[in-house]
Parts: sequence; C-alpha cells; structure tokens
Amino acid sequence: MASVSFNGVEKAFGATKVIHGISFDIRDGEFMVLVGPSGCGKSTLLRMLAGLEEITSGTIAIDGRIVNDVDSKDRDIAMVFQSYALYPHMSVRDNMGFSLRLRRADKREIETRVARAAQILNLEPYLDRYPRELSGGQRQRVAMGRAIVRDPKVFLFDEPLSNLDAKLRVQMRSEIKALHQRLRTTTVYVTHDQIEAMTMADRIVVMHDGVIEQIGTPLELYDHPDNLFVAQFIGSPAMNVVQGTLRRTNGTAHVLTPDGIQWPVASSGAADGQPVTYGVRPDHLELAGSGERGVPGEIVVVEPTGSETELVVKVGAAQLVVEAHGRATLRPGDKVTFAVNPANVHLFDQKSGQRLTA
Amino acid sequence: MATRRRIVTEAKLLLIGIPVTIWTLLPIYHLFLFSISSKDEAFAGKLWPDHPTLRNFSIVFHEQHYFLNHFWRQFGNSLVIACAVGVLTLAIAAFAAFAISRLRTRGGRFILNCALFTYFIPAAFLAVPMYKAMGGYGLLNTQWALILAMVTIAAPYAIWVLKQASDKLPYELDEAARIDGASPLQLFRLVYLPLMAPSLVAVGTYALLLAWNEYLYAFLLLSRDEDITLPVALGHFLSADDSPWELLMTTGLIYALPPAAIYYAFKRYMVAGLTSGAVKS
Repeated sequence: MASVSFNGVEKAFGATKVIHGISFDIRDGEFMVLVGPSGCGKSTLLRMLAGLEEITSGTIAIDGRIVNDVDSKDRDIAMVFQSYALYPHMSVRDNMGFSLRLRRADKREIETRVARAAQILNLEPYLDRYPRELSGGQRQRVAMGRAIVRDPKVFLFDEPLSNLDAKLRVQMRSEIKALHQRLRTTTVYVTHDQIEAMTMADRIVVMHDGVIEQIGTPLELYDHPDNLFVAQFIGSPAMNVVQGTLRRTNGTAHVLTPDGIQWPVASSGAADGQPVTYGVRPDHLELAGSGERGVPGEIVVVEPTGSETELVVKVGAAQLVVEAHGRATLRPGDKVTFAVNPANVHLFDQKSGQRLTA
Repeated sequence: MATRRRIVTEAKLLLIGIPVTIWTLLPIYHLFLFSISSKDEAFAGKLWPDHPTLRNFSIVFHEQHYFLNHFWRQFGNSLVIACAVGVLTLAIAAFAAFAISRLRTRGGRFILNCALFTYFIPAAFLAVPMYKAMGGYGLLNTQWALILAMVTIAAPYAIWVLKQASDKLPYELDEAARIDGASPLQLFRLVYLPLMAPSLVAVGTYALLLAWNEYLYAFLLLSRDEDITLPVALGHFLSADDSPWELLMTTGLIYALPPAAIYYAFKRYMVAGLTSGAVKS
C-alpha cells in the first residue's frame, strides 16, 4: 500500500502538449478515479504513473520515492488494461502466475498465491482454461487476478469495463469496489463514464484538455461543482443550464433570460447586470400545483423509467430535463409550473465558466 | 432444378480441375516412371513399364555409378546447408522484427525499407560480387559460403514478413509483460516467440526450401564433388554424352521428397488463430 503524488506533471508528444502541469496526491488505500471526456489526458496520466510513457517534466512519486526514471517492473504496480491483455498462449493459472515466475518466486508460493486470487475472484473452475475459452467477464476477472497475485503497492485500471455489456459492467463495478474494500490497496481508476466514477470513487479527479477541473468526493462534485464543465459532466441526466443576466430588486435576486423568464436565485456574489450561466439539476426541479408561483413550461416528451419519469420541458426558448419521482400522469402539450429551490441553484460566470460564490 | 444446376457447376469445375491435375501430375508421374524402369524401357513410351524395378534406387543408395559416387555426402550437404539457412534466417529475422516492431528501435523503419529495397536487385546480379566477397573472406568451397549467401538472400523477405506479422500482435501484451516484470529478452522468449510460432514456422520453411532448391549460388560457390549440393550434382549428370536418365530421374525423385515431407509436417503449424482471446476484437 502506498500514496501517490503528482507534482507539476507535464506531457508533450512532439510539439503537442497534452498534459499541462498536473499536481495532486492520492492517499494510502484510496480509490481515486480519473474521469473526463476522451482526449482529456487521463489515460496518458495513468500510463505515466505505470511507466509506459515518459514524463516530459514534473515528478511522480510512489510512497515518497520519485519514480520518473524507474522501470515499470520496479515500480511495484499492477495494471488492468481495457483490452485485458491476457497472454493467449498461457492458461489462466500461468497468466496469473506470470509476474511471480519472472520474479523467480518459489513454485509452491506461486501456486498458493494464484489459488488465493482465484478464490477471491471465483476463478477456481477456470484455472486450466485458455483466455480464448473464457467469456468477457471471466477474462476481465483474470486480468484482475493477474494484478492481485502480485500484491502491489498500487493498482491501475485503464477503462477496464468499457468492453463489457451494460449488465456485466454494473456487476463488475461492484466486484471491483468490493475487491478494493477487501484489499484496501491504493487504486487509480481511469474511466470516461461519470456514473462509474460516482459509484466507485473515494475521490474523483475531473480532467479536461490536460488540466484538472476539480478534485473531490463524488457528492462534493455533485453538490458544489467548481465550474460549468464539472457541473455538466457530473450527474445524469446532465444539469440544465440557461444563459441570462442577474437582476437585483429590493433585496431579492433573479436571473432574467432573454425570453423574459425570471429564474429565482439565492443571494449571490454576482453584481446586478452581470451575465451569468444559470444551472439547476433535473432532480432539483419540482412540479408545482397549478396556480402556484414558479417557472412556467410545456411538456414536450415524457420518458418513464419505472421508478422515475424524465420529462423534457420547453421553458421559454430553452428545453430542460426534469426528473419527476414516481409516475407522472402528464402528457406532451400539458402546461406545467416548476418550483425551483434557490438553494439548489448554481451560478457560473458566463465568460470564465467559474462558479460564482454565494 | 437445383440439383441440375449443381451438376452443371460441378461439371464445369471438373472440366477445369481434371486438366490442371493432369498438367501438374504428369511430370511427377514421368519422374516416377523413369525411376522404376530399366534404361532400355525408360524411353519406350509406355504408361507403365513391362518389368518395373527398384534397381535404380538400389544403385543410387549404394552409390554404384560414377555420377553418384558422393550421393549421400551431397544429400547431407544439402540437408545441413538448408537447415542452417533456415535456422540462421529465422534467428536474424525474428530478432530484427522484434526490435523494429515491438521495441520500436530508432531507425527500424529505415532498415526495413533497405530490406525491401534489396528486392529490386535480382539474385543473379549479385552472384559475381558474392563470389568475389566469399573469395575475399576465404570461404569459397566451404559450406559457410553458400549458407551465408542464402541467408543474405532470404533474410530481407523474412524480416519483412515477420515484421508485418509482429505488428498484428496487440501492443498491450508487451506493456502487460513489462509491468509484470519482463525484460526485453524475457518478453521475446516468453511472449513474442510463442505467439509468433505459426509465422516463424512459415518463414523458416521458406528459407529452408529456398536453400534446398538453390542451384546458381551452389554451383558458383562450391566446386569439389564432396562439397556440392544435390541440385548441382544432378546438373553434372547432363555433362555426359549419354546421360543415365533413369538414375537422374530417380535421384531427382529422392531430392523432391524432403520438401514434400516438410510441407506435410508443418502444415498444421501454419494455422492462424493462436492470438484469439488475447484482447477484445
């Protein structure tokens, strides 16, 4: 087990800079998820930690030791690849024991550790099979088994679930999380799927265009996004945003959109007349009874998911998504009114996209 | 209707297939026919000799003819040279392809292009320079001369083919092995070679048969009767006024058997699909 720290890490491929000075620490035993859209540099960062990519400048340290010039094999890390990368000519047993064999470990020792990993991952019946004889989920588990027999300081996962179907992905998600809770090994997990990030992480690093947008626990990111990018990236369905101008009239404030709709806000640090981006999450828009004060809208689409109903609503010039609990009896074309709790509203500067503090 | 159409299709295929088969097998049958005929019967133009005999084989095997005085020695020469060329070419090409394709050595592309470029020069053009070079090294009339010459000719193509095949192996396997703690040599031995086995067999067989069949270079670089290979020895048969055709054909038939055996033995290794299951495709 170990801590990991990135200090001013940069990466350039030729003249193209893809990572612009990243610094953060991962605590001992923590499950850290790097998330961001494709091309944001999260995989490159992980590969630099693994020793598969050179570090252009800055330092990476594992357990306090700077590893910039340390070979992958001497970093005491294990990695699970998106494509599994199992050795096709070796049985499951040999795949899992390969790293120990390279380290010239004792035969009995290898046998014991492979058996233990197989037991943890329910792979015992498959030890003598070859990768081609396994299903996607089983191959994924072998890849994890190969990592855990090593008992490394850090586990690295590079989009390990992307190749699985939706159902298996959910199942493996909880298996990986359970594995972490059992082994408590420091884990760095890269994904582009914010739901994976939210459900698995102790803390999340949100990356975009080679910089860190925000680091925090899943709920911190959800409740207090630092900027518009994080606000829209985290949460599903995504946060609704409208562009408007902040207006203050005798003690109360609201955001006025060009179509004349007034959106309620709590007291805000923004000045009167400042152009802002107004954000509110779909589950923070509540349908109000007719006649109540609120934001008027018209239902466009009704999407029942069973436990909840997603409504696409036209409000002025904008289309918003509303998550209604339970089953709505609404139909497209119905006129509705929403109550917006000003406490759940997020305001961002229109130019910089940064959060405007209350 | 359907059956009738099938019969027509099959008839067409047979119409093409039968002549092609006869075309291919006739010379071999001719070879065989000569080898089991006595000298008088060989030219009688019969489809089957009146008195088939294995005497020719006995003469060849017991080296009972002027041209066959060193048959076993020459057969052995061919075998040793062909195997050495196969093994050496394979070693050179496997290391080169591994370095270029997997270790991504700087300048690898340049080397590869050079290798391809050598194919613009016909081997016959290089015969005289090669002769001079081998003379310079003092290797003329040794088996090394022919072995080195054949490796030189076979290696560029072998490197090219193995490099193409190597590129198809998923690179994540190398990365996984590196993280697992493999050194480049361990990666080569424990991951690369086993996965490349089908291509290695194919390339090794190619080089081996190229050397086995070589006439021009063998004729140039080796001259003593004890040193020459079988194809050159076969050529000597034609230097007599009255060539012993039945013995030439018998020796030719024996000479043709090892390649056939090699093809048959390695056929099953030349199947693809060993890499299936490595990564999601």
